[in-house]
Amino acid sequence: MPRLTVNGKQIEVPAGTNLIEAARHAGVEVPHYCYHPSLSIAGQCRLCMVDIEKAPRPTIACNTVAADGMVVLTETDRVRETRKSIMEFHLINHPLDCPVCDQAGECWLQIYYMQHGLYDPRMTDEKVHKPKAVPLGPHVILDAERCILCSRCVRFCDEITGTGELGIFERGDHSEIGLFPGTELDNKYSGNVVDICPVGALTDRDFRFQVRVWYLETAKSVCAGCARGCNIEVHVNRRRPHHAEGRRVARLKPRVNADVNQWWICDAGRYGFGFVDDNDRLLAPTRREGGTSSDATWDEAIGAVAAALRRLSPDEVGVIASPRMANEDLFALRRLLDICAVRRVGAQVPPRVPGDEDHILIRADKNPNSLGAELMGLGGDARPVLDAARARQLKCLWIFGHDLMASRWPEAEVLEALRAVETIVFTGTNANRTSERAHWVLPAAAWVERDGTYTNFEGRVQRFRQAVEPLGQALAEWEMLDRVLAALGEAPSATRAEHWFRRLATVVPAFAGLSYQALGDTGRLVAGSVAARAPR
Amino acid sequence: MSEGDGYPGLTDPATTVFSEAQLAEVRRLQSLYPDPRGALLPVLYMAQETFGWISLPLEEYVATLFGLSPAHVHEVVTFYTLYFREPPGRHVVSVCHNLSCHLAGAPGIIAHLRQRLGVDPGETSEDGRVTLLSVECLCACEAAPMMQVDDRYELNLTPTKVDRILEGLA
Repeated sequence: MPRLTVNGKQIEVPAGTNLIEAARHAGVEVPHYCYHPSLSIAGQCRLCMVDIEKAPRPTIACNTVAADGMVVLTETDRVRETRKSIMEFHLINHPLDCPVCDQAGECWLQIYYMQHGLYDPRMTDEKVHKPKAVPLGPHVILDAERCILCSRCVRFCDEITGTGELGIFERGDHSEIGLFPGTELDNKYSGNVVDICPVGALTDRDFRFQVRVWYLETAKSVCAGCARGCNIEVHVNRRRPHHAEGRRVARLKPRVNADVNQWWICDAGRYGFGFVDDNDRLLAPTRREGGTSSDATWDEAIGAVAAALRRLSPDEVGVIASPRMANEDLFALRRLLDICAVRRVGAQVPPRVPGDEDHILIRADKNPNSLGAELMGLGGDARPVLDAARARQLKCLWIFGHDLMASRWPEAEVLEALRAVETIVFTGTNANRTSERAHWVLPAAAWVERDGTYTNFEGRVQRFRQAVEPLGQALAEWEMLDRVLAALGEAPSATRAEHWFRRLATVVPAFAGLSYQALGDTGRLVAGSVAARAPR
Repeated sequence: MSEGDGYPGLTDPATTVFSEAQLAEVRRLQSLYPDPRGALLPVLYMAQETFGWISLPLEEYVATLFGLSPAHVHEVVTFYTLYFREPPGRHVVSVCHNLSCHLAGAPGIIAHLRQRLGVDPGETSEDGRVTLLSVECLCACEAAPMMQVDDRYELNLTPTKVDRILEGLA
């Protein structure tokens, strides 16, 4: 392990560490554009110059490996002057169109100019013009004039997705990034090139012009799009609602978790939040009688569900839980089912189209909490519940989230089951063809509107946090289950999701010792998980 | 980019392939470098000699020989000036516009060529006879102004000499 000093501070770093990372160990940030910890070294931007004692001139930190006895200085006059000159080079042909650039506010040209540039422009010649607002694919749009040719996006497509769509074409100040003519940037991870683009060259077609980034608020969360549970940040716009026509969730961004998703998320997860602010959101409890539906109060709805559970024998009640529910919801449900002795329960409903999977992040199981449901004893096949309904054995069927009509189960059999049950209760975020047939509809908060945890396929329990208020009267599932339990005479136990997690951790052995605090920002493995036994 | 005007077969990817002997040469070239990719430039020259210019389908074909994405072959082809991305004329006239030639009268030579051929540098005369290029130093400063006509240097140019040279080009 080489020992070196950075700006007078002595540190020891693992062999092979480059000077940008070594400086980070010492709490020193070396400005850079092209370096990215998960991509190969390009040495392209020249901004990360540092002085090394006895070296004749400044050296790029990204491509210099820390060595024993090295004395690194990142703030000498010479380094500062070099940085300033390099900034001037980067900005020679830059259009300086910040007022209309979507990157403004999170642009490293702006940030570094303010920190290290601050020169007066000396360019008197006409700038080189290049293509602007060129859609590269379904999600990414290119402004070649703003590009500083750091090649991060090119290396991402070469080294992470292995798809190689992008290249740097032409030469000198005419160089520009682009696609092989006639092709598209449409790989399953294309949105990540926007994240790693340090400037406004690559922006997000979905997010662009929705809201200025400085109006965004963020919450740490977990993607609910598949069993991987990629760590994300939810960026919401509450301060300028008129900017995005009522769209509250502005975008999802990956959050680094070395054990789960590194720096990345897939496009399906990144752009899969549209349902949160969709017009088909369920906003209030609804009662349907004789073909007409009317709004009800939560008290009426909870009362009706509790009455059915009280009145019916356990075998007349079926529950189709969902591996999309949080651990807290599932445990509250487990508690309710135990009290009522309901045994007809399952959670797995086969999707009509099998999920895609790859060797990067995407999992075929599109549910964020299948393992959690399994550990709670609720992860079983829901088919027996459907069959019981078809056999007219059920008087009440409570469906959480699933659109059974859109499953792989034959539609005729689903319809037969739904018609055969006296009271169908549907709990979910959005209307669907199953909720349309329910007698009671209980609106649920979307995952970005509440707290909770999911257990990913490896057994990692990860927190997601509330980013926006629930729409309308929607409640988290654990909250409505809590109310049903109270109506059945249970002492109210929870005012926060965390309370249910605490109970869960004392009852379900796999969760023993876990708490919200212990989970932190990057999660913890459940006891006995495959990943816990053989860490990657 | 206009593809294949007057160049039969070149727009059809199926015909844009090397012979067995050429493929053997590709393999030989690739074996000369620690990373076979090093042979990309000579293989592209082979392709250009065989097919006259480097079309997009040809870039894709060469990419398959190296296991590269077509975008990376496109990077190389667009970086270098000696790969033709459009069909050139039957003859290529490259006039030096660098310092020595400039001082010795290259601007006049270029103006004369433009007028005689009716094209700007970078363009091909309408009859497909000559592609005119204006290029950097060709290392014949002692005989400035000069130009290269196909594989031949033409030195100490005057407008009269240029006319005579042009007349000799079929």
